[in-house]
Amino acid sequence: MDQKISMENIFQKLGDLKSFFIYGQKLIPILQKILDFMQDTVPLLENVNRSIQESTSKMPKAALQINSVTNATEVATTEILDIVDGMAVDVQGMQSKLESLKEKIGDDDIASLLALVVKIQERMMNITISLQVQDITAQQLSSVNHLIQSIQEKLGGLLTELDNKENDELTVDDHQFPRDAAFNADARYDKNTNSQELVDSLVADNLTKASQAEIDKLFAKQ
Amino acid sequence: MKKVILVADDSPTIRKFVSVALSVKGFEIISCSDGMEAIEILPNQKVDLVITDLNMPNVDGYELITSIRKNGEYHDLPIIVLSSLGNTEDIQKGLECGANSYLVKPFDPKRVVYEVSKYLN
Repeated sequence: MDQKISMENIFQKLGDLKSFFIYGQKLIPILQKILDFMQDTVPLLENVNRSIQESTSKMPKAALQINSVTNATEVATTEILDIVDGMAVDVQGMQSKLESLKEKIGDDDIASLLALVVKIQERMMNITISLQVQDITAQQLSSVNHLIQSIQEKLGGLLTELDNKENDELTVDDHQFPRDAAFNADARYDKNTNSQELVDSLVADNLTKASQAEIDKLFAKQ
Repeated sequence: MKKVILVADDSPTIRKFVSVALSVKGFEIISCSDGMEAIEILPNQKVDLVITDLNMPNVDGYELITSIRKNGEYHDLPIIVLSSLGNTEDIQKGLECGANSYLVKPFDPKRVVYEVSKYLN
């Protein structure tokens, strides 16, 4: 009886073993495919890693180039402002001479020349207003530089984790980047007067509040 | 005697721009690139009015205005803000710190002259 039970157990175990081998036979091609896929992926990942490494190491150069653009536009703008400043002095001199001539001679042509001088002065003023675009773009470029620096920091951290070691090339050195200038990322070159109108209304509101406070103070004294 | 205006802005273009607009009107301009420099200049130089940016390295415009207002000696010193920050919170903050006027960039030089003249003439 006992022998019969143990034989049944052996057959049961053999059956299990057989189904395990059949399952294994089915699994082997899948495992092979996974292995092939991994073999294909590893060089691809290494490639991605290398590309990220390369891009990351180029980021400080990009930031420095952006900074050199800002410096160049700054120098050019200052030079233009110097020229406009010199012209303003000349035009002012011309205006005063024309005014004294107008007083002496009283000619209509001189009056029209004076009107022309005023027009030139207004145009020169408009040039200087337009030149403020340099300051706005400088702030926007500083904001881009700040973004590049943040991305390099993130990528550097990611690659260090992947390599599981410190990579000197990817360690962010603040000196690699241009000086972090103060900037307004939302700075816009917008000549419409909406913002200034908002300011004026807020200033007026503040003045009204101050006046009310003063009135209250006065009444408190009485 | 010429009235002296201290201009604090990290942008050389804006410093030059303000200087050009105001020097032709007979004002003397002293300029610096951040709030820290401005704080250092103030005790050593007679200044009649301050024009300041808000976004500046080291000490920003808000800190500069607050520090000026904290000093009793400069309690009545007129301060004009010149900034690209044009939303309500920034403007309110600037005024609450103690600025007398606020101009948004890009600004009209005539308006700068007008604001300065309001306090100095």
